[in-house]
Amino acid sequence: MTNPSGATADRRTFLSLVGLGAVAVAGTGLLGGCGDKATRSGATQNLDKLAALLPDQKPLTLDIPKPDIISTRPVADGYTKFPASLVDAIADKPGAGGAAIRAMTPVWGPAPPSGANNSYLTAINAELGTPVEFSTQDGLTYGDKLGALLAARDVPDLLCVPGWEVAKLPRFGDAVAALFEDLTPYLQGGAVSAYPMLGTFPAGSWRNSCWNQKLMAVPNPTDGPFPWVLFHRKDLVSKAGLTYPKTIDELFTIGKQVTDPDKGVWAFSDIFAMVQMLHKVPGTKDGWRRKADGTPEFKYETPEYRQAVEFMAKVYKAGLVHPDIVASKGADAQQLLKSGKILFHQDGMGMWQLMQAEQQKVTPGFDVQPVPLFSATGGDPLAWGDDEPISYTFVKKGLGKARVEELLRVMNWCSAPFGTREFDLREFGVEGKHNTRTADGPVKTELGFKEIANQYFFISGRSPVVQPTPQTPNYVRDMLGYSNTTVKFLEKDPWDGLKFEMPAKYKAGLAPTDDKITDIVRGRRPLTDLDAVVIQWRAAGGDEARQLLATALSDAGR
Amino acid sequence: MSSDQASRTHVTAEQPPAEPAPARRAGAQRRQRAPFRARLRRDWPLLVMVAPGALLLLVFHYLPVLGNVVAFQDYNPYLGDSSLQALLGSPWIGLDNFRDLFADPAFWDALWNTLSITAFQLVFFFPLPIALAIILDSILSRRLRGFVQTVVYLPHFFSWVLVVTFFVQMLGGAGLLAQKLRDAGIQPPDIMTNPDTFIVLVTAESVWKDIGWGTIVFLAALSAIDTNLYEAAAVDGADRWRRLWHITLPGLRPVIVLLLILRLGDALSVGFEQFLLQRDAVGRQAAEVLDTFVYYQSIATGDYGFGAAAGLFKAAVGLVLILAANKFAHVLGERGVYSRS
Repeated sequence: MTNPSGATADRRTFLSLVGLGAVAVAGTGLLGGCGDKATRSGATQNLDKLAALLPDQKPLTLDIPKPDIISTRPVADGYTKFPASLVDAIADKPGAGGAAIRAMTPVWGPAPPSGANNSYLTAINAELGTPVEFSTQDGLTYGDKLGALLAARDVPDLLCVPGWEVAKLPRFGDAVAALFEDLTPYLQGGAVSAYPMLGTFPAGSWRNSCWNQKLMAVPNPTDGPFPWVLFHRKDLVSKAGLTYPKTIDELFTIGKQVTDPDKGVWAFSDIFAMVQMLHKVPGTKDGWRRKADGTPEFKYETPEYRQAVEFMAKVYKAGLVHPDIVASKGADAQQLLKSGKILFHQDGMGMWQLMQAEQQKVTPGFDVQPVPLFSATGGDPLAWGDDEPISYTFVKKGLGKARVEELLRVMNWCSAPFGTREFDLREFGVEGKHNTRTADGPVKTELGFKEIANQYFFISGRSPVVQPTPQTPNYVRDMLGYSNTTVKFLEKDPWDGLKFEMPAKYKAGLAPTDDKITDIVRGRRPLTDLDAVVIQWRAAGGDEARQLLATALSDAGR
Repeated sequence: MSSDQASRTHVTAEQPPAEPAPARRAGAQRRQRAPFRARLRRDWPLLVMVAPGALLLLVFHYLPVLGNVVAFQDYNPYLGDSSLQALLGSPWIGLDNFRDLFADPAFWDALWNTLSITAFQLVFFFPLPIALAIILDSILSRRLRGFVQTVVYLPHFFSWVLVVTFFVQMLGGAGLLAQKLRDAGIQPPDIMTNPDTFIVLVTAESVWKDIGWGTIVFLAALSAIDTNLYEAAAVDGADRWRRLWHITLPGLRPVIVLLLILRLGDALSVGFEQFLLQRDAVGRQAAEVLDTFVYYQSIATGDYGFGAAAGLFKAAVGLVLILAANKFAHVLGERGVYSRS
């Protein structure tokens, strides 16, 4: 309830509005000194020209066994067996025993205990020499939190910015320049040798960590390029006497067959992104491709997108999406998949192993598997994806040289690769407490699941490999099998090596357009409205973005 | 507190020992009041008690008001070395933000939705806590009343995510109601995803969440009504309804008017999370309110000046409504939120 004094505050603002408004109306001459609102038209950064900034890449000389499965990049290699012995990678304590390091990282699911209540953090902090204090934030709303944090210029010593949030953050280039330390002098060329673990990262991931022609962050290289995977409950689909769909018509028919509202079972979560991918809608830079005549074209304008919208509208109309997901953004689709209330669900690859390991203890025979990628319209399928890092770790500006070096040493420790003792501790916690050793490697205990939530992972990077887990012995083979098959169909990026800050008008125009398309997909507007929606989108910054992308291509001589 | 009771306490606070004097004389006396030091010595415990509240008000209400200047700027939070420098260094653009705001058809859509929801809730939500308070007040058993009060207060402390989830689990397509209807062979109605009835749905959610909380003030007001009045009326042969009409409701009138005025001042705020969560379910056309509009057009795009302009507009409309409603209350002979002494 507002109190009367709140009304007084309102009067203040009102008076200032009326006062200033009157001035503006009365004398335009007085406001002659004011500029017009600037149009932020975006910017292009050609990363190929930044080669001189990058750290020298140098493999470690440690005695870590070779991977069992060699993959096609950007898919990571994999181990099917846990190494018999671990090696010590770093002898010295990285921390100088200074003040605690404040860090912010995302977490999905329940938040782990913080500070001294978390014995995992205590154990690692003891190894580091300088404790790291984490503020873990809900991963689903992490972008909102970041936006507020950056605009308030109140950043912690180490800040994790997930790659997929970068494009959504307004004026991110400005924010990086104003708030974070330039890491070029610390890491460029041979300087990186002080941090040998960071020196193993692929050059591409460093290249993506440049903003304003400077090396601004430590990347966390990706282990898989795909943003979306269509998962299905293989056990339940088989029980219904079916197998996974191989064509788009089968997807619909199987969806219809497994949907049974009387039993509380529906086929799908909101799988629109996957439906677009199956229809070969472009996905590069959030949905751009180059037409035959060389001009850029956005997904909304393509016939493939129209087909995808049509299909998805059919799915909604047939009532194949779980009503909870239709009714509220707060619905937990993963939970519905676990409990068998939906049978198909699109998610990131990271969902797979965690869900399988956790749920198979509860549901005997639980088996979640990806649906192999197919094309809805014939020919080879198309996979969205890129090799941009999972996340970036930024260092707060103005902490001083000694402190920045300490922070980099901490990140270096956290970046030790698979097969080292440091990695093992960071990933699985303390033996006998957070994990129990088996012949096939460590198994996390209840406490381990509760306390370990990738905290240190999100302030570091590592040369990625896919590691075996005793609970899910087939996972590495299954996952890399899917990935290495799918990676052949990875979409080519005409703007590879170019980094964009898209025009503000275009960014602002995307959400309203998506709203209108949601209306069409969910049957509140006819499909024929799509043309009008696209024309509105072009006026709302679409053509401006096209211009930026076209100019970037001609400037790069492509 | 009835209106003459209130003015009486008002006067006695000014000059404790004197007899209740007419308002005009009290005003004349105040001009020749005790010197500042004497008043400070007399009133310092009161000032100390007020200080924390005043400080909070200053820090969290008055200081942020200054930030409203970004409505007239092309505000860039990353200019200079600090937030203050960013505020000072951002270019002034006059009324461009307001021009953009008023030229945006989406803004008018959002405004229309907001006003519709406010009007609807004023009719179908605002009276309900009064009715509930009267019913609660008539429960004689203290324990039962305490229990019922606790139960109806509780939902106020749930987050919107929980409230919406609860409604989805009860009334959604996979919810309890739909399952029961399907078991009985009836096609369940579309409650959670129908844009046409969305206004009823959000009001129902708000009622469920906040009806109990809304009764608190009314219960306090009810307890201040002199029970002798009821007894006297009962002796004179007034039945329940006459007592309600002639004693209870007039006793509540000042509080009802006060809350109504405050609600009007908030007319352009109908909530945020509730609408964000259900936006995809019913579409932007039905679920876009001013606060979600500001979120998508300003916070999400980093155009803070534009958002501040929308906020100022909200504040201006709220103030006009409060002033108008207050004036109207005076015409009806009520004290309203405040009055000139």
